[in-house]
Amino acid sequence: MVPADLSAIHPQAEGSMRLVEGVMSRNYAPKDGTDPDKITFVQVDADKCEACGACEEFCATGAIQSINDDGIHQVVDPAACMNCGQCLVNCPYGAIYEGVSFVDELFAKLKDPDTVVVSMPAPSVRYGLGECFGASTGTYVGGKMHAALRKLGFDYIWDTEYAADLTIMEEGTELIQRVKEQGQKDARPLPQFTSCCPGWIKFTETFYPDLMPNLSSCKSPIGMLGPLAKTYGAEETDTKPKKIYTVSIMPCIAKKYEGIRPELNDSGFSDIDATINTRELAYMIKAAGIDFNSLPDQDPDPVLGESTGAATIFGNSGGVMEAALRLAYEVLSGEKLNNPDIKVVRTHEGINTADVNVPNFGVVKVAVASGLKNAAKLCDEVRAGKSPYHFIEIMTCPGGCVNGGGQPLDPEIQASLFRSTVAQINKRFRARKIKA
Amino acid sequence: MIMKRRSFLKACGVMAGYAVLTVNVASEAFAAAMSFVALRQKSVYAADANPKIYTYRKSQDNPMIVKIYNHKDGFLHDGPCGHKSHELLHTHYIDRSAKLAALKAKGYKLSI
Ligand code: SF4
Ligand code: SF4
Repeated sequence: MVPADLSAIHPQAEGSMRLVEGVMSRNYAPKDGTDPDKITFVQVDADKCEACGACEEFCATGAIQSINDDGIHQVVDPAACMNCGQCLVNCPYGAIYEGVSFVDELFAKLKDPDTVVVSMPAPSVRYGLGECFGASTGTYVGGKMHAALRKLGFDYIWDTEYAADLTIMEEGTELIQRVKEQGQKDARPLPQFTSCCPGWIKFTETFYPDLMPNLSSCKSPIGMLGPLAKTYGAEETDTKPKKIYTVSIMPCIAKKYEGIRPELNDSGFSDIDATINTRELAYMIKAAGIDFNSLPDQDPDPVLGESTGAATIFGNSGGVMEAALRLAYEVLSGEKLNNPDIKVVRTHEGINTADVNVPNFGVVKVAVASGLKNAAKLCDEVRAGKSPYHFIEIMTCPGGCVNGGGQPLDPEIQASLFRSTVAQINKRFRARKIKA
Repeated sequence: MIMKRRSFLKACGVMAGYAVLTVNVASEAFAAAMSFVALRQKSVYAADANPKIYTYRKSQDNPMIVKIYNHKDGFLHDGPCGHKSHELLHTHYIDRSAKLAALKAKGYKLSI
């Protein structure tokens, strides 16, 4: 496939703002070594804020709050913000912007013939991207997404879904080890928490650091794919690791924070060089003049590209749990799991708990929470020593990554909220008039 | 400037109903967002169950996973949670509560 011509695309000034699929975004790519805790990934434009307070309702930590008598909201300090972007996607006035964007840096790398640019798209991107090109909500566009990445000039189309399968192998094995070592000296504690979601990880580190031993030591899928690309991937493709520029493509804003964590350097380099989200990928495809809808369906490149259904369900709340159980069941029972659907753990909102019967082993007790307010309830239980579970999955965004802060916006939120606000005001106004 | 920043709600003169309205707006937004999310979730499970999209449904069946863990010559030949895995695929966490404590000491009220 002939790559698109990017020669007409020029970088904007650092710090300048632009509209990316309905969200204002600041052109700022933090350099290696920048402290991620000092960066504002999400902030309110005070001139656009209408003081409705919706953002505050959606924020679990209270990081976003009214700062003056007019009710204008701000993220008061990045230390209290988990960078989830739930405030951003739910602001009915489009007043919240993104503070970090690697789009211009990435365009420059794609144009540079000396850089080997590697794509690493997360599961949920392929269920959101199509919406930016007119497809109905949730349409699967995985094949076109791979083709679009090739067309943009990415050298290797590797896929975070492959690393999701790897995560299951590592995290599932860790869980089985933890269960077996209970009662021994130095046993790692149960329940084991999932570690895929960067908002949740920062939340634990900030609000529940005493529970860090319960977090799986496994990196998230993207945290695994970055270093593998620069070691195994480099080996398999005969590429010099230092020429490789890895691009994490996520439905998420908090992944931008994860991508610049200084400890993620196990390849001998920065494991993840850039992080963009679904909206930014759509922006880049449009900027490059690619006709997305007429692209053929294409596969990712082998070795670090192939994936399974267990990997794609990582995007839904309960998905990591279900994928892990598809492994744990077979390992613990020694039997084949004939029907891989474990529907009891599928979670739309709130907290979901289940007892899963595993033959030749016993009951595995699991819990799935979506949204950090729900996560806090489970954390308090663990802290009090009253948690009966073996394994707990937490997603920061209600419903999971498919509803991440970096996904295309729900067109209805802004439109219908505005309409309903006006309707409610009118109703009150009428009611008062009638009484008077 | 102040007029410009005044909220739409205030400009409409609904001072009294403001607090109630705020809650309604948020819960309505939540309901709207969740029905939207349901559509995306449904599509994810449909792809998982569609053999034309995913040949395999369990991570352990992925041929490229089998390859990387191959005992003889796989890149991670010592298996999941083996030595090489710990080097490349596992991590540690950092206590960030001091920053929070500092923020609270400055007088900020948070929800947790
Ligand atoms: S949701 Fe948007 S408009 Fe409403 S208070 Fe928050 S930032 Fe301001
Ligand atoms: S990004 Fe998330 S944690 Fe930060 S202010 Fe918004 S809702 Fe709160």
